Amino acid sequence: MSVATSSGACAAPVIELPEILDLKAAAALAAEFLGHRGEELTVDASRVRRLGGQCLQVLLSAAMTWRADEVLLAFVNPSPDFVEGLARLGIARADFIDQEQPQ
Amino acid sequence: MDPMAAIKQTFFQECEEQLAELEAGLLAIQDGGYDGETVNAVFRAVHSIKGGAGAFSLDDLVHFAHVFETALDHVRSGRLAPSHEVLGTMLRAADALADLVRAARDDGSVDAGRCDALADALRALDPDAAQADEEADGDDGEIIDFQPVPLDQSIFDDDLATGSVPSQSLFLIRFKPKPVLYAKANEAAVLLRELAGLGEMTVACDSSALPLLSELDPEGGYLSWSIELKTEQDEAAVREIFEFVEWDCDLEIERQIGEAPGEPDVAALIEKMQAAVEAELSALGPTPIPVSEAEPAVIDFAKAREKKSLQSAGDQGAQRADPALAGAAAQTTIRVDLDRVDRLINLVGELVINQAMLAQRVQEAGLARASGVASGLDELEQLTREIQDSVMAIRAQPVKSVFQRMPRLVREVGAMTGKLVRLVTEGEKTEVDKTVIERLADPLTHMIRNAIDHGLETPEARLAAGKPEEGLVHLSAAHRSGRIVIEVSDDGAGINRARVKALAIGKGLIPADAALTDDEIDNLIFLPGFSTAQTISDISGRGVGMDVVRRSIQALGGRISITSRPGHGSTFTMSLPLTLAVLDGMVVTVAEQTLVVPLTAIVETLQPKVADVHGFGGGARVIAIREHFTPLIDVGRELAYRQGDADPLSCVALLVECEGGFRSALLVDAILGQRQVVIKSLEANYRHVQGIAAATILGDGRVALILDVDAVVASSRADASFEQLLATAG
Repeated sequence: MSVATSSGACAAPVIELPEILDLKAAAALAAEFLGHRGEELTVDASRVRRLGGQCLQVLLSAAMTWRADEVLLAFVNPSPDFVEGLARLGIARADFIDQEQPQ
Repeated sequence: MDPMAAIKQTFFQECEEQLAELEAGLLAIQDGGYDGETVNAVFRAVHSIKGGAGAFSLDDLVHFAHVFETALDHVRSGRLAPSHEVLGTMLRAADALADLVRAARDDGSVDAGRCDALADALRALDPDAAQADEEADGDDGEIIDFQPVPLDQSIFDDDLATGSVPSQSLFLIRFKPKPVLYAKANEAAVLLRELAGLGEMTVACDSSALPLLSELDPEGGYLSWSIELKTEQDEAAVREIFEFVEWDCDLEIERQIGEAPGEPDVAALIEKMQAAVEAELSALGPTPIPVSEAEPAVIDFAKAREKKSLQSAGDQGAQRADPALAGAAAQTTIRVDLDRVDRLINLVGELVINQAMLAQRVQEAGLARASGVASGLDELEQLTREIQDSVMAIRAQPVKSVFQRMPRLVREVGAMTGKLVRLVTEGEKTEVDKTVIERLADPLTHMIRNAIDHGLETPEARLAAGKPEEGLVHLSAAHRSGRIVIEVSDDGAGINRARVKALAIGKGLIPADAALTDDEIDNLIFLPGFSTAQTISDISGRGVGMDVVRRSIQALGGRISITSRPGHGSTFTMSLPLTLAVLDGMVVTVAEQTLVVPLTAIVETLQPKVADVHGFGGGARVIAIREHFTPLIDVGRELAYRQGDADPLSCVALLVECEGGFRSALLVDAILGQRQVVIKSLEANYRHVQGIAAATILGDGRVALILDVDAVVASSRADASFEQLLATAG
């Protein structure tokens, strides 16, 4: 996973999710998010090929945390596999995206 | 180690255990000594391998295991009778599965054509394929063989639910993975995908238990899923998806009755009845798959099997109950890296040496035996020995791990030679040090090959000789006098002594006029370069003769002998030490050198008298012991410590027993004592020395050599024969 500062209108750092979001990726992913706690954050899901249950927990928890902190967390460029993975795990894409938007 | 690599390694270790269970189970079924649990155990073994392989994307393995599992399911459901032919195919399939597992583990390759052919053979076992025509004739289809559910019915027994489900059923599934599910490389997403493959599915994720990120354990299990599945499959198919994770998740599967209007759904009815029985059994709650600690006996039993797969590789065979027998007790075991055990053994070896040194110092200090130091030292010695025994017990492993490789070998060699062979094993639980076991596999393999290839006759020859068509190879292990004795016997034609002798003469191994006893002729096959096969075969004649087998056994501190009865078969007997780490030895001096003679070889010690010692020509001497003449061997001369013969009257004779029960008297200068010594390999630290088995460190810090009694006696006999030959020639 790589983190970069977006050069576009949004200056939020960007977390690029790795291709494989399995058991091995969960701890690193959680640490990555925690390192940006309190910051507006963009999550690029364009490379994701596989989404597992534990990484989904991290993503959902991060979304919940950012919402609680009232900070923007945006998921962008979801790959078809990412969207399919969410659907398989019972998370509709719209629900997921809506969920982490600050109120 | 990378956590995934570690999990994978564990998977392959467990695969070996499952493969062993699979083969043992299939053989038990073949022998007729099985029950429903044996069939279930066999099925589960293949199913577990398939499950684990799926988690690691080992597609070839998954594919083959799936086909195998399907065939086994037919046996399990009673639709396919486990005939000799069916089991033959399944045993070959078990071999192919083992090859696939090992190829996946070692990044090797397998004979894909063979695997495909076996997969086809397994598919051809499907009774539905054979019965399709009959059913098309207006038969009512499958008859569901309903039986009352026995109280010890395992939850894996879904036989009652294998009936066809004519229309769609609706299942409500609640699934909450525990962290351990993920830790074992299983994945909720994969399970949900497999479930989706059964029909139309809607999934709802419950994330209400999820904490904020700062409190989240990234490898925890917080999410749960509620699933509605409409499928034509039965409940067994749904449960099967969760079968190898069911102890690692909370799982509820409910079937909504009434989804199939029209004809009464017999299968659903039976399932309902089964559920009712299970609910009664499950006294603590109505959950179909309870996971609490206080479970009814039926669940404890299943958990016992689960725990069993976690047993240490070191004592799996000892601890594991026979898979053919239901009701194995749970054992609490851990897997320990062998290096750690070896380190412990080395340290205990050092402790033994150190304790001996300390004892020596105390003795040198002139302390009285009654002093506190001396008695404390005695206690230390006793404790050291107990520690030593306990540590050795950790390494002790049943010979089963080697024996269980042999059925496959027998099948393969039998097929190659066109001989019908039955292997009977005995004493598989006999324990011996792991190092010995590891080095036993090769000689044993060769001897079994030899027994089938050279020992057993062809089916036609056997029938002609009035024997059963099927030859018998018997492999047994037992503890005897502090050693392990392994026997390989066959009921073949026995050694053709005339041919053996002619061959030995032809090869110049013995003089043409040599007068040999039957026993001596039989033992000619151990001579280097000797091969009784007229043509070198692929099976036993791989450039490895029985002399190599004998050398490997001797390198283990063992002995091998043969007895043969013409027309009735041959028996090879190997006698091996239980451990290669320590031995009880007699410390002796020979020409001012200190030597250790293994105590197991010594029958008695005696002081030679002048009247008992006789010259025998060619410099050889014998000693009369209780009216028997026994060769007297001067160890000092054999090891070239001295040129001339020692005076027997000023020496001590050790009566030793060698391979084949042959006795000799070894002449040494004096006996210093008897003690346990730690064996240090001479080959690993220096080089092989003729007549010497190993070395050890004595209490005074000096290195003492451990005598290879068999080698010394054999060398002395060879010398004598040579001298006799010279005398004859002269």
